[in-house]
Amino acid sequence: MKRKVNLNRPEISSAEIAKRKNFDSVLKQSANVGAKPLIKKPWFLSSVVAVTIAIVTTVVLMNQDKKSDQHVENQEQISSSDSLALLAFYKEEEAKPCIAPPIKGLNVHYTTFKVIAEKGATLDYKTGSKIIIPKNAFADENGKLLKGEVELRYREFHDAVDFFVSGIPMTYDSAGVKYQFESAGMIEVLAYQNGKQVNMAPEKAIDIEMASDYKGTEYNFYKLDTMANNWSCLGKDKVKANPEKSSASDIKKEIVSIEETPEYKTFETKKVEAKKEKEVQMAALPKPIAEPAKPAQVKKGKFTFNLEVDAKEFPELSVYKGLLFEVGDENTNFNKSMYDITWDEASVKEGNKSGENYNLTLKKGLKKYDIIVYPVFEGKNYETAMKTYQEKFNKYKVTLDKRIADEKKAEEVYQAKVAEYQRKQEELARAYKQKQEEAYRQMETTQKVMRAFTVSSFGVYNCDNPSVYPKGILCVANIKNDLNKNLLCYDVYLVDKQKNGLFTYYRNPLTSFSFNPKSKNMLWTVEHGVLYWLKPEQFSSITASMKMQDLVLSKVDQKFENVEEMKAYFNF
Amino acid sequence: MIETSKYHATQTDLANEQAIVEAAKKEPAKFASLYDKYYEQIFRYIYQRVDDKEQAFDATQQVFIKAMESLHKYEFRGVPFASWLYRIASSEVNNIYRAQKQRTVNIDSVGVYGMMEEMEETKIDKYHDKIVDIIGQELPEDELQLIEMRFFEKRSFKEIGEILEITENNAKVKTYRILEKLKKIIK
Repeated sequence: MKRKVNLNRPEISSAEIAKRKNFDSVLKQSANVGAKPLIKKPWFLSSVVAVTIAIVTTVVLMNQDKKSDQHVENQEQISSSDSLALLAFYKEEEAKPCIAPPIKGLNVHYTTFKVIAEKGATLDYKTGSKIIIPKNAFADENGKLLKGEVELRYREFHDAVDFFVSGIPMTYDSAGVKYQFESAGMIEVLAYQNGKQVNMAPEKAIDIEMASDYKGTEYNFYKLDTMANNWSCLGKDKVKANPEKSSASDIKKEIVSIEETPEYKTFETKKVEAKKEKEVQMAALPKPIAEPAKPAQVKKGKFTFNLEVDAKEFPELSVYKGLLFEVGDENTNFNKSMYDITWDEASVKEGNKSGENYNLTLKKGLKKYDIIVYPVFEGKNYETAMKTYQEKFNKYKVTLDKRIADEKKAEEVYQAKVAEYQRKQEELARAYKQKQEEAYRQMETTQKVMRAFTVSSFGVYNCDNPSVYPKGILCVANIKNDLNKNLLCYDVYLVDKQKNGLFTYYRNPLTSFSFNPKSKNMLWTVEHGVLYWLKPEQFSSITASMKMQDLVLSKVDQKFENVEEMKAYFNF
Repeated sequence: MIETSKYHATQTDLANEQAIVEAAKKEPAKFASLYDKYYEQIFRYIYQRVDDKEQAFDATQQVFIKAMESLHKYEFRGVPFASWLYRIASSEVNNIYRAQKQRTVNIDSVGVYGMMEEMEETKIDKYHDKIVDIIGQELPEDELQLIEMRFFEKRSFKEIGEILEITENNAKVKTYRILEKLKKIIK
């Protein structure tokens, strides 16, 4: 199996992991999966066996009727009970209204404006769009002009998430040829009085200037015919400059430097932590034993004193046996006669060369002499002392070398970490710069404009361009969940980040699924109100083949409270 | 090497845990404490072996869903409940590999240095990249698992043995054989 290697991937904190805990979901899902659906009961299964063969054939044909030129080499076997359920499901899906939001409770909200019918109004929508309503623009079902307050409900749809949650179809049938819309924006405008939907007055029209990111002239102007479940082309809209949008240079001023971003700062903190960690490691290393003092041999012709010293006070002197104190050359006041005196008292203190020499104080009566002496050994005592010293020194050397090696290792690990953090920071800076440049380029190409059009009835309108499915890789795809079960889904949406649309495929398996492998893609579908998705990185393993490939979609566990949350989740 | 796993359990811990498992068999909500206790461990186990964070979170949820569904089949064998969860997690990870036709190997330089320390190799700069290449591309799956657990997840040999269902000693011997092999290859 092919392997992908990630080196030094950033760690995930326990806090982040803890945030994703959701036992309720586990409890709920395990309970759901545990319960047997009706169609899996033995009695149900046996009752449908007789019609199995006919149904399997029908299902396969139905799946292929729209794309008869595709060849499915490896059609998955469908069980009898599943076939029945599938047919019922398709029937149910096809009977749904033209606008069918796929996720309950998640939709683009309307903004409601109060308009005095006989006065008209110019309304500003949050995106910068303008709605210009003339006087006496509203009429009741009999065509009679309305007076007083009318509630105008207005909303816009600008990206794949908006299109998806709204359930507004993004396919267009032009004389039997199916197209997929790429959109420069879409609006819905409705009017109500006293809770009852009203019409636009005959001969009246509302002018709309919709703020759009797309300045191209390839877009047409369409109205959704909800009865025919298709769009009607009304011609072309007009493109005007939008003076209210920020220019690229304004946005440049607002962008913070990479050094101020939290991602970059994290590595600064990591560097400090690595240093602290190294210091702690070094402090915890065992200290090497003290270096033993090398015994010296008595020199010929030198005077020595044989004194007993306290081992507790001078542990270094009590290491070897037969210790003598040799009178140093610096003692100019020392003479041989002092050697013959029986002294009342003799004491030793550490000398001016620590660990090397000592001060010997000799007292007799009121007389006191200070002599600098050196510890020495004589004859066999010296040989024994040297042998002991060598053993002790070897041990000392081993501990010293280990300490040095440990310190070196800790330092190397620290340096490697710092270098790695530095490398990551540089990587971040490079990516940040690239992203900024891309954003500036994008700003230039997707210059904000106003797309102006006039509507003479209420409903859904778009400024769209009929297009085809993205191309590059064509395959047959079977949509599964991560429990390896086929997803019971009707509409499967391809999101191609290079195109502003929602490319809709019907029925699972997708007999001719195509996408652009050079683009960032996602696949969305909904089973029983639950959103599933195929992540962008999963597209790289899809191959161009007419053999059935399983696409394993992950369940989106996050419950979106609003459209913005969904946009943030999918990075829109 | 510092072992960072929180997996170790005393006999009392095991007995307490077994009592919770038995209670959860009758009342699934009682599984919550086991979920809480093992969520992070299982997530980290999966995340170590996959490429995508979201995928790891999803797979972790699946492990616990599957564990709850099969809890009635669970039998206490004197090892922490986690070893059973790890087996489910391992199967989940294998499903991901099959679906993606790709195995992800996440290597941490500090772990590589730890390996070199065990190999008594001091030229860490010289051999780091070579070892990364070998681990990432050449080590057979069973050997990779041992290296991953010991050096990148810093698990004890006891724990590795319990997860892989081999003895502690066997885990140790196999690991050191792999290190010996690596030492020969890099030189």
